[in-house]
Amino acid sequence: MSASAPVIGRLPGDQRYWFAAIAVLLLAWPFLFGSFWARIGLGALMWIGLAQSWNMIGGYAGYLDFGHGAYFGIGGFAAGIAMVQFGYPFVVGFALAIVVAAVLAYLVAVPTLRLTGAYFAIATWALAESLKQAALILEITGGTFGLSLPRSPDTFIGIAVPFAISETFFYYVMLVLCTATMLLTYYLFERHEFGYRVKALRDDQDAAESLGIDTTRVKRQVYVLSCVVAATFGSVYAWYIVFIHPNDVLAPIITDRMVIMALLGGLGTLTGPIFGGLLVFLLQRLSSVFLGSSTFYLPLIGVLIMVTVLFAPSGIIGILRGEVGRDDVRKNLKELGEKFDLL
Amino acid sequence: MVDIGLFTQIVINGLLLGGIYVTIGVGFSLAFGVLEVVDFAVGEYVMVGAFMGAVLAPLFGAEGVFVIPIVLVVFFAVGALIQPLIHHVTTGDRPHPLLMGLVFTFGLATFLRGGVLTIFGPNSQDVPSSLLTGGIAVPGLGTFPVVRTVTAVFGVSGLVVFMYYLYRTRGGMAIRAIAEDRTNARLMGININRYQSIAYGAYAALTGSAGVFIGMTFNASPGMGLQYTAFAFFMVVLAGMGYLPGVIIAGVVLGLTQSFTAVYISGNAVLLVLFAIIYVVLLVSPAGILGKGEWAT
Repeated sequence: MSASAPVIGRLPGDQRYWFAAIAVLLLAWPFLFGSFWARIGLGALMWIGLAQSWNMIGGYAGYLDFGHGAYFGIGGFAAGIAMVQFGYPFVVGFALAIVVAAVLAYLVAVPTLRLTGAYFAIATWALAESLKQAALILEITGGTFGLSLPRSPDTFIGIAVPFAISETFFYYVMLVLCTATMLLTYYLFERHEFGYRVKALRDDQDAAESLGIDTTRVKRQVYVLSCVVAATFGSVYAWYIVFIHPNDVLAPIITDRMVIMALLGGLGTLTGPIFGGLLVFLLQRLSSVFLGSSTFYLPLIGVLIMVTVLFAPSGIIGILRGEVGRDDVRKNLKELGEKFDLL
Repeated sequence: MVDIGLFTQIVINGLLLGGIYVTIGVGFSLAFGVLEVVDFAVGEYVMVGAFMGAVLAPLFGAEGVFVIPIVLVVFFAVGALIQPLIHHVTTGDRPHPLLMGLVFTFGLATFLRGGVLTIFGPNSQDVPSSLLTGGIAVPGLGTFPVVRTVTAVFGVSGLVVFMYYLYRTRGGMAIRAIAEDRTNARLMGININRYQSIAYGAYAALTGSAGVFIGMTFNASPGMGLQYTAFAFFMVVLAGMGYLPGVIIAGVVLGLTQSFTAVYISGNAVLLVLFAIIYVVLLVSPAGILGKGEWAT
């Protein structure tokens, strides 16, 4: 966690202790609660990272990417193909996932980012679906049989590592990836000039253009960055889950979840995806245990989204920050009531 | 050598399939172009309509056709009550109103899909019908399956009724005025809430009853919606945003592409080919293949 030291350094005193406590808890997590909770923690970290990757393009840049899950799958298949078809270790697969995702995202970005709003959403959605179809037909992805990845000790860096490639190992890999994603988002979007450019083009593209911002270039950069981040999680997930199939890792539900998490947490905020990701992931995982049905979380999330959009467009973060108070809800309800004047 | 008998049968199937898509595309195009509502729930209306057919048909002597009037009424009422919510989301002092509208209907779609999945389970159900079975064999051409023919006729007549209402009645004029300029329409004394609700209700009713027809043609399953959402978007892109007559051509193009790809290339490649076409159209001719819609940006 030494990389986060500069962040902590800038925080006020009491927040510094919170940060330290959370860092210690996260580091000790698998040893404190055992392998079941390590698995839960691993999933939560992955989804928080994925939600953040969607938040970059969807929240900060305001481009609703409904095909983002495809890059998760591409990362998975890039790593899978490198390990299974060519016999490379995971680190090579990981690098390949980054390269493939970056190249593809750039090729997609050039024509697709000319579209905005719903058209961008449809085009990216269509792209993701056709990639899934292609993965089902192609031979290199295993087609309808899927791919089984090796997980022996020498598959990490090529020579045998002295520790087990276990759940605990994957927990720490996800922890590193998720922390890196958070720090990257913090520096690029909250501290760096780049973030201000991105937000400017989201709020008013023409105005941003007139201030000398090359919006096309910035949009492409954000898109490629967010896609690469999703692909890195995909490659680790593929290795962790051992067996990947186009119907699993390229499923539209993956994109849906990222969107829902980022939205519920608060679009275009650093910490929003953490809250949204935790909430949705836990709802989904615990749905079968506490709600008596493994799918009941879906309608629940649907209602949550509608209520959020209606009354708290800035998400959980907005409520926590006090942007959405009781008066706002009352005002909203009153205005909503007036719109039911139908006769 | 191309088999002529097979060829004409493929054309027939494609045209009738196109008729089914027209049914969905009409209402969606209306909502998209006139109301500026980008509705991700369109496929889920189809799905819920099909499930209403599957659940209610046994109560009406196992005849799906009799369910259609009920579906029309229920969907109109529900749609009319959903529209004010969407209107509220897309107006007012919130950031990115149109994106919020998109996200709202996305939530609605998740709610409907998840709700049906939770209540009825993941299995598909049949929508029974004894009236619409078999096919009419036309010598020299091929067979016209009755269900698909009736569905196609239903879709095209739905379009004609919509066009008549929009261009020949006072209510239609009010809706077109709202589409031009919402604020000015209100200043002219139009109750915009009422007419927007009528338009959205009509769209929901048509889409839901299309769902019953689709249920009778294929079956009803909780996961079927996504495909029709995609097709509805494709039709609007092909037809040109807000240009209703283009919907027929878009439906025919979609249906023919699908049936020809399935026979001559591969059933697995249908979506790939469709997506490729859509992508090219979006990028080359953003106002639809006829170039008469609003510019897609």
